[in-house]
Amino acid sequence: MILAVVLIVVAALSLALILRIAIVGSLQVRKGESVAKNIQPIDVEAFRNLVSPSEREYLRRHLTPAQFRVVQRLRLRATAAYVQEVARNAAVLIHIGQAALATTDPLTQQAARELVSQALLVRRNAALALIRIYVTLALPTATLEAAGILANYERLSGSAMLLGRLQNPSTPVRLSAQ
Amino acid sequence: MLQAHSILWHYLWLAPNLLQLVLAAFLARRGFHREFPIFTLYLAAGGIEDLVLYAMDILPAVTWQAYWTASCVGLVIFALFKILVFGELFSHLVRSWPSIAKLGNRLISAVGALLLLLATVAAAYAPIENPQHAIISREHILEQSVYIIQSGIILFLFLFAAYFRLRLGQRIFGTLLGFGVLSCQHLAAWAITANGLMFNHRYLLDFFDMASYHICILIWFYYLLVPEKAAISSQVRLPGHNLEIWNQELERLLHP
Repeated sequence: MILAVVLIVVAALSLALILRIAIVGSLQVRKGESVAKNIQPIDVEAFRNLVSPSEREYLRRHLTPAQFRVVQRLRLRATAAYVQEVARNAAVLIHIGQAALATTDPLTQQAARELVSQALLVRRNAALALIRIYVTLALPTATLEAAGILANYERLSGSAMLLGRLQNPSTPVRLSAQ
Repeated sequence: MLQAHSILWHYLWLAPNLLQLVLAAFLARRGFHREFPIFTLYLAAGGIEDLVLYAMDILPAVTWQAYWTASCVGLVIFALFKILVFGELFSHLVRSWPSIAKLGNRLISAVGALLLLLATVAAAYAPIENPQHAIISREHILEQSVYIIQSGIILFLFLFAAYFRLRLGQRIFGTLLGFGVLSCQHLAAWAITANGLMFNHRYLLDFFDMASYHICILIWFYYLLVPEKAAISSQVRLPGHNLEIWNQELERLLHP
């Protein structure tokens, strides 16, 4: 009886989730250009400081263990916020890149393909980085390696810039706030 | 009306399967089978299998043991067939994007293994109602197991595409949506049946199952046969940065 009820609830929730994804997905395709407004610039330097092992070592040496844990938790939360923003930007760029794939211009199409491919990589790495950050939040003295996502994000900015220039030569494109 | 062997019952068993065969023929004529060979074959074979079961159900010469044995064998074969169909849809989804294909393959394998484990645990707890007709209970439990795995994989495919913002395309979207609606409804219905609930009103669940299958076929008809709208190439302007707002947000995060 309990098993049946659990399975019925799971089935109902799964159906609701599938329908929600289907409806939201259809609406996003219709939104078109407006999604580009959702891009938030990322302060790459600040992000780099947050994930820098030397900064971390400096703090470890100059703070008491209790203070270090508190500071490290704050830094990790900030890092998580950055990573989430990077993931959101990547999602917008995937949307834009997939829309640009329909173009007849081979150069733009190639740039769009490159952009989507790199944005997917960034989104994948962002998910993995977030998992790692939340694990490290539980153990703040453990090391965090988020440098890979930063490198990917910088490459992604370059691809977005290329696609933006090919589509709108007069419009400056910038994802990173230096 | 809502009884076995009523006109509605015959319609709901026959019509979706005949429509499925018609759909398979239409798709083969349009060359769909070159892109999705496993799914096209599944449509044709699935329609024939259900019509064979229908004939076995109404023919007096066929014993109930023979019917339920055939049903169990068909269920196992088509469960494996559907796994291949989902694999085909998934490979179409990620084939253009190698950066996530490897992760996707690993994830879908892990999700499949986890679902198989859950289905086995759920099957272990399901009762055998009448030992003299154990094969019927076993068939119900098998149905429950198949739909636990099937609905889980469909949900994973939707979540994977949604997380990576992948455009499914009309055909893959329609195929997955049809399977999704069917699998979730069937999971709920077979969970009730396999766990011995609504014993005297199971015919209602049969009607519910057949009706949802009909809806699934109609969804496939719409998404697979209606021409896909041409994608509009939009001149998207990427915005410039807004450092001030971003820094305010960071300040808020760093010094709450």
